[in-house]
Amino acid sequence: MINQKDLLPKDMGRKDEQLIKLELDQLIPLLAPYDKPGMESPLTDPKPAWKEKYCTSLDGYVGIDTLTRPKSKEEEDEFVRKFLSGLEKIFSDANNGVLQPLLLTYEYCAKCDTCSSACHIYEATGGNELYRPIYRSEVLRKIAKKYFTTSGKLLGGFVGADIDVNWETIARLGELSYRCNLCRRCAQTCPLGLDNAILSKEIRKIFSQEMGISPVPLHTKGTMNQLRTGSSTGLTKPAFLDTIEFLEEDTEEKFGIKLKFPIDKKGADILLLHNAGEFIAWPENPVAFALLFNAAGLNWTLSSEVLGYDSVNYGLWYDDPQAKKIALGQMKVAHDLRVNRIVMGECGHAHKAAAMVADRMSYGEGKIPVESCFPILWEMVKNKSIKFDPSKNNFPVTLHDPCNVVRQLGIVLPQRNVLKALAPQFREMSHPGVENYCCGGGSGFAIMNNANFPEFRTQVASRVKFNQILGAFKDTISDASIPKYICAPCSNCKGAMRGILEHYDATEKFNLQYSGLVELMVNAMVDIKIPFFEFLEEKK
Amino acid sequence: MLLSLIAYISILLFVGISVYKAYKFATMPMHGRMELYPVPKEKGFEHGGSFYEEVSWWSKPHEVSHMREIVEMLKEILFIKKLFENQRPLWWISYALHLGIYMLMAWTMLLVVGVVSELNGITVAATDTGIWGLLVYYVTVATGIVGLALGTLGAGALFLRRVFDNTLKKYTTPQEYVNLLVLFAALFTGILTWGSDLSFHTAREVTANLITFTPFAASGLVTLHVILVGIMLIYIPISKMSHYVGKYFTFHKVLWDNDPNLKGSAIEHQVKKASTFRPSTSWSASHIKPPDAPTL
Repeated sequence: MINQKDLLPKDMGRKDEQLIKLELDQLIPLLAPYDKPGMESPLTDPKPAWKEKYCTSLDGYVGIDTLTRPKSKEEEDEFVRKFLSGLEKIFSDANNGVLQPLLLTYEYCAKCDTCSSACHIYEATGGNELYRPIYRSEVLRKIAKKYFTTSGKLLGGFVGADIDVNWETIARLGELSYRCNLCRRCAQTCPLGLDNAILSKEIRKIFSQEMGISPVPLHTKGTMNQLRTGSSTGLTKPAFLDTIEFLEEDTEEKFGIKLKFPIDKKGADILLLHNAGEFIAWPENPVAFALLFNAAGLNWTLSSEVLGYDSVNYGLWYDDPQAKKIALGQMKVAHDLRVNRIVMGECGHAHKAAAMVADRMSYGEGKIPVESCFPILWEMVKNKSIKFDPSKNNFPVTLHDPCNVVRQLGIVLPQRNVLKALAPQFREMSHPGVENYCCGGGSGFAIMNNANFPEFRTQVASRVKFNQILGAFKDTISDASIPKYICAPCSNCKGAMRGILEHYDATEKFNLQYSGLVELMVNAMVDIKIPFFEFLEEKK
Repeated sequence: MLLSLIAYISILLFVGISVYKAYKFATMPMHGRMELYPVPKEKGFEHGGSFYEEVSWWSKPHEVSHMREIVEMLKEILFIKKLFENQRPLWWISYALHLGIYMLMAWTMLLVVGVVSELNGITVAATDTGIWGLLVYYVTVATGIVGLALGTLGAGALFLRRVFDNTLKKYTTPQEYVNLLVLFAALFTGILTWGSDLSFHTAREVTANLITFTPFAASGLVTLHVILVGIMLIYIPISKMSHYVGKYFTFHKVLWDNDPNLKGSAIEHQVKKASTFRPSTSWSASHIKPPDAPTL
């Protein structure tokens, strides 16, 4: 193992075992009350079986559960050959959709290192060299220069083409592409406007699109499952309809309200698209949306068609063709329903996928406008189309900004306006809005639960976020009788929040709660006579 | 004559290669949207907002301020704003280099202006009684001294920082040291060549000879300096120091390009055009079928 301070990009080609090992005392300290010894479990070593099967030679963590060690020299050579073939293709017309931004970032990095201090993972690890944003980018450049540029072939190390390329190099690079949340915070600070996240994603794309290697939760159980069954959760149409029926009954039982979800209503104004994970993990979210949309008198519908009841698009994180298939499939569902607009529920990456990434994938009659739920929710409050009683939300509330909603779509104020109006004790975290830090669950981390990857997500990738949360509630954190609410209006962010709170036992010890924006709104509705949140019921 | 040729050819190549690079980037295929907020032209720039903050945004006029975009662009070009905000220690030396280069560009043009003025009978000197001659003289002196000093200092300091900074040196290739040395050598020989006459009368004379192809007895130092400047001018656009080209595209065509694909818009027209393209290469993973349209 190398002292991380001495780590060089070309060390990725070393034949040694694990390059670095993270230790708890190297990470940035957590804020009170988690600043005391023993409040956090130590970081673990990978199991010997994982070392034999996967690539643990980067930092000991396993992100890609389909990246297995070769059994022969031939397999190893084929692995390297395929990677190089994919690397060549990212600079070809097969990659037209990103060619210009990719080449700009690939060619122009001045290595000024301004990006490092913007990266929450680099910060969380106390400045560990392996997680410096330009480390990964530089390894990719070195390999590309070595094989695909005249200067690299002729001048080698003089132009930086000084890396050994073997199975370990490529596998480590693949793993390292899953140590970046693709949050693009670093790109905001680059004096040249370059974007290291593009290179991280291109590495992921080479692995998936050329080598057929990607994390199971993203591909096999993600996009493939979604294209086959209709949802990355595996929720089929009959199961979806059963779930809706159950939620209607459950809502009536709990709140005495006859709730009706409009399904497949042709000609509706709005097709509301939820992350289907909400129906399974956080069903109160789609229920809250339905209560609000019905109360506001909106003409809306859900779809029960394949790709119509799950807004997720994991292709965004690792595979362009998969992203395109899903985005166009969702668009077709909306077109067939003849709706005027698609409204994205509380899912950040789905917002970005449908509104921004898919914006230039189609044109003409089949293209339905996409908008965010947040302006609509704010309009309900602003126009007083629903009666709210903010005093029902009289507990500390903070807002986690999903990267895809703020930094990547510029939707900053509507959700804040709702909170300012309906949550009397609302307070911002540090770095609010477009300067937010990722929750640590971005780009697939929230659903990647193989081997020891959750440890990396929770204790490293989510670390800065947890400190932001602790900082926002520092006045009441030690008083467990006061619920403290993290408003995380994004399914993946909620997944990360769940991981953080469970790992640190923060709900049990300090009454830290999390959920979305619509749940807070419904809790404040005058017509809802009992608390919408279980944690308020318990208190009662 | 040879030095004149070097001067003309190197300037021509500098401009030509830079324009060619810009042309290559400008004619690249349309890419998917990848904007990053705050986007200066947006009404909500101050808080990082966009048109997506409006209900039914597509049915309302997209209010943009191109003036704000230009202002932000100028802040970046003239002051390197992002580096100033995010890494102040490096900004001081990087800005010294960049400001030095801007000053030297102005100085070079002023030398030419001075030559043309003198050819038209206007004396460019501190002793001149005309406003124009005095103005050209003093601005030439100011830009020349400040430009040479800041440029040389900045290039040297950036080089030394890369040599001694434990982080930067890990990522700096020998070629990247050479980049800075090329700048430093051209600038430093400038100080040696012109430093003995800070009225820059000699520089103006040499400039006059160079631009008019007039043979003159160039000293070894002048010859070396002109050759090094020529090499620098040719080398900059072929190296990544041509980021003055790339930076336009990274901001205007990637980070700040959020024009939505609305019915009847110019973007829609481009999307239609791009959709007819069939790539010559395709990906090999088994789940990928040959694409029938490009992925934007």
